[in-house]
Amino acid sequence: MQYLRMVRLFISTAIQNMLAYRLNFWISLLHSLLSFGTGVIAVEVLFGQVEAIRGWTLSSTLGLLGTYLTLGALRRLFIGPSLEALAGMDGEIWTGKFDYTLLRPVDVQFLASVRLWQPLALLDLVLGGGVLIAAGVRLGHTMTFADVLSFLVALASGVAILYAILLAFSALVFWSPGFLYTWLFNALFQMARYPVGLYPGWLRLVLTWVVPVGIMTTVPAQALSGDLPAATLAGSLALAVVLFAVATVLFRTGLRRYASASS
Amino acid sequence: MKLRGGLALIKATWLSWMQVRSFFFLLAFGWMIPPLIYLFVWSTAAGSGTVGGMTREGFVAYYLVLIVVNQLTYSQTNWTVGDVIRYGGMNSLLLRPLSPVFDALSSEVAGKVVYLTFVVPVTAVLAVILRPELHLTLRNALAFVPAVALAWALRFLWGYSLALLAFWATQADALLALQDALIFLLAGQVAPTVLLPGVLRTAALVLPFRYMVGFPVEVLSGQLDRVGLAVGFAYQVGWLTVALVAFLVIWRAGVRRYSAVGG
Repeated sequence: MQYLRMVRLFISTAIQNMLAYRLNFWISLLHSLLSFGTGVIAVEVLFGQVEAIRGWTLSSTLGLLGTYLTLGALRRLFIGPSLEALAGMDGEIWTGKFDYTLLRPVDVQFLASVRLWQPLALLDLVLGGGVLIAAGVRLGHTMTFADVLSFLVALASGVAILYAILLAFSALVFWSPGFLYTWLFNALFQMARYPVGLYPGWLRLVLTWVVPVGIMTTVPAQALSGDLPAATLAGSLALAVVLFAVATVLFRTGLRRYASASS
Repeated sequence: MKLRGGLALIKATWLSWMQVRSFFFLLAFGWMIPPLIYLFVWSTAAGSGTVGGMTREGFVAYYLVLIVVNQLTYSQTNWTVGDVIRYGGMNSLLLRPLSPVFDALSSEVAGKVVYLTFVVPVTAVLAVILRPELHLTLRNALAFVPAVALAWALRFLWGYSLALLAFWATQADALLALQDALIFLLAGQVAPTVLLPGVLRTAALVLPFRYMVGFPVEVLSGQLDRVGLAVGFAYQVGWLTVALVAFLVIWRAGVRRYSAVGG
């Protein structure tokens, strides 16, 4: 209960913060529209040349792009800002500001993960949702309640996997402060904008088993086009749970190495 | 002599940049990913046949060259010009007995060397793995050198002029993001120009963006006949002239308007 109340406070602080910089809204809108527009056009250009690639059509690839945009939006909304402040450029672990997080009588991982929110990411969320709906309509098959449910479960496990990987990458900063692991993750995350099936075998293995960014978008997109085997869904859920546990252990182990900075 | 001062500055900046290699390698890695994604997607689409007359090996060659050219012509320094103006860093640059554009140029040269020490070996390894096919002719190789040089000059001056708009507007950086998006779509990154659908292809041929990245790549990978080459160079020189005039006009008007903040 207390945690929910804190989340509400974090959000209202974020909204007040956002309202102070009104020009930022327009800039952010421009950025959202650019990433949405370039993403959609890129897919259109590709499928203007070919009918289907390894079973992926224009509609199903759009569904995947919608998932990618939605995941990216959720990340920008509430996981990304905190972890970037923690482990990004001039991050709190590097500058020693992390002390203030440790001193608070709340779970450290909770505070380090969801303290900062970016309400402007809701724009991305709307655009991503729009692509998802458009793709769903284009795919043309009527979605049953079970289909919608399995899509939502797949998406939720995608968010959990995303959070777990990002947390693990951020935690590595405890071992080598100053290295921008979150940027490394950003680079790899972009690969999730196309189905893993379109990459060559060795890369597909990396994106599935080593840094499973491919799973995050491919599985929900399969659910959207209605050809998701129940076993894959269960596997994705299990992966989410395992990765979450591993990342948490990694973060807490790293935490013990933290020896502040400056002062 | 102004030139000697400029050269000394270039050397100093280059040496200091080499000190923090890992950071720049990470940036270069991030910039490599988008073209790399399209390399994989298009070569999978081509499979063992052709798409738009290009084979899998052709796509690999095209995109590997594009990765290097994109890095050669990308003017990362343009992003910092706005901050230099806003935070008053321009004060000390204006006091130097040489034009502040030398400061940007010195970061350019330093950056190029650092980034290329990462990008070239990685591209070479990728070439060994992915087996590109490049039909190199002497004419294309000879035309490639001036094409890259002009592309760099065009991209640099164009971006620098946009960044100088920070003299008037605090958020001129948004225009750089817009430029990056247009380069992504129209400069041969999302697809080689020949594969773009009607309207986009016309826009790509007329607007300056293709001449910042895509054109030199097409030259080297032998996609252009004699006429295509001549027309391309004409456009490149034409747009470069426009960019040069724009730079001079904006610079003169901007400096007169500049009222040092901080410093």
